Amino acid sequence: MEIELNGLKETIPENISIDALIDLFKEGDPDLIVEINCKYIFPKNYKTTTIMENDTIEFINPNLGG
Amino acid sequence: MVESDKQKITRNRRYARQVILPQIGSEGQKILGKTSVLIAGAGGLGSISSLYLAAAGVGHIIIADHDHVEESNLNRQLLHSEVSLGIEKTKSAAIRLTELNSSIKITPLQTKMTRQNIDSIAKKVDIFVDATDNYNTRQILNRASLKYNIPFVFGGVQGFDGLVSCFVPGRTPCFECVIPCPKKENNSLGIIGAAAGIAASIQAMETIKLILNIGTGEDRLENRLLRISGLDMKIKSIKLEPDPECTACSDVDP
Repeated sequence: MEIELNGLKETIPENISIDALIDLFKEGDPDLIVEINCKYIFPKNYKTTTIMENDTIEFINPNLGG
Repeated sequence: MVESDKQKITRNRRYARQVILPQIGSEGQKILGKTSVLIAGAGGLGSISSLYLAAAGVGHIIIADHDHVEESNLNRQLLHSEVSLGIEKTKSAAIRLTELNSSIKITPLQTKMTRQNIDSIAKKVDIFVDATDNYNTRQILNRASLKYNIPFVFGGVQGFDGLVSCFVPGRTPCFECVIPCPKKENNSLGIIGAAAGIAASIQAMETIKLILNIGTGEDRLENRLLRISGLDMKIKSIKLEPDPECTACSDVDP
């Protein structure tokens, strides 16, 4: 199925979780923030949140500098 | 203290371009003048937020930092200049802010914010403006924000990017609901000065809106995380909600 990830169209397997998506795209930041369709997802829900067709997803590396 | 006619004339002239805004007006300007703000950090974010808040006439700015000005600060920390190299950041900040607006009170606090001293600082201020560069100090500010019911205007920057949100006890998630304790520490982050400028300007704007209760929670950056992505110049608003299991705020009464 198709999704938009960080502004790019991507084709991914159906019924995968955020956790699996993070693995699939080899995102290595352990502190990653994920939003789906402009909604923040709690990290504890990455395993149980399933990606849907046409979802718009952003991986955000938290900026904590000042 | 009763305001003299002279003070009133000075205030109306100095702040004329914002007093004419219906959202501010003469009454709003008076409220700004009676407000105390903690700027937690005199670095890239604190440089810009403190300048705008001082210029806007916020009556008392406490600016806290424990560092001294270094040459590598000057690409973004616009409070400081070459003549400030080596001196305490808060002293440098106080000099610059007083040059900008001598009618307000500036309190430099050359100290690291800790669990021990945050209580005495919190009791003196109405709002926290985050300008720190690490998770631990933000966590200390967050806990004090919850304990004393003080709004916490979060900002963080790195590279060309920034994050901003207003965490208001009882109305929004708290900082720790949204930003979990990092598993890795980034000690020396690359940063382009303008990224800090954008994020800190938004923080200053939101601080003024919170002080004057301008707009609704939806208009303000409450329950939203603003993500500024400088490389592709996109700004996105991400909807937030409290974490019912948050160890910091889930048992704090609104």
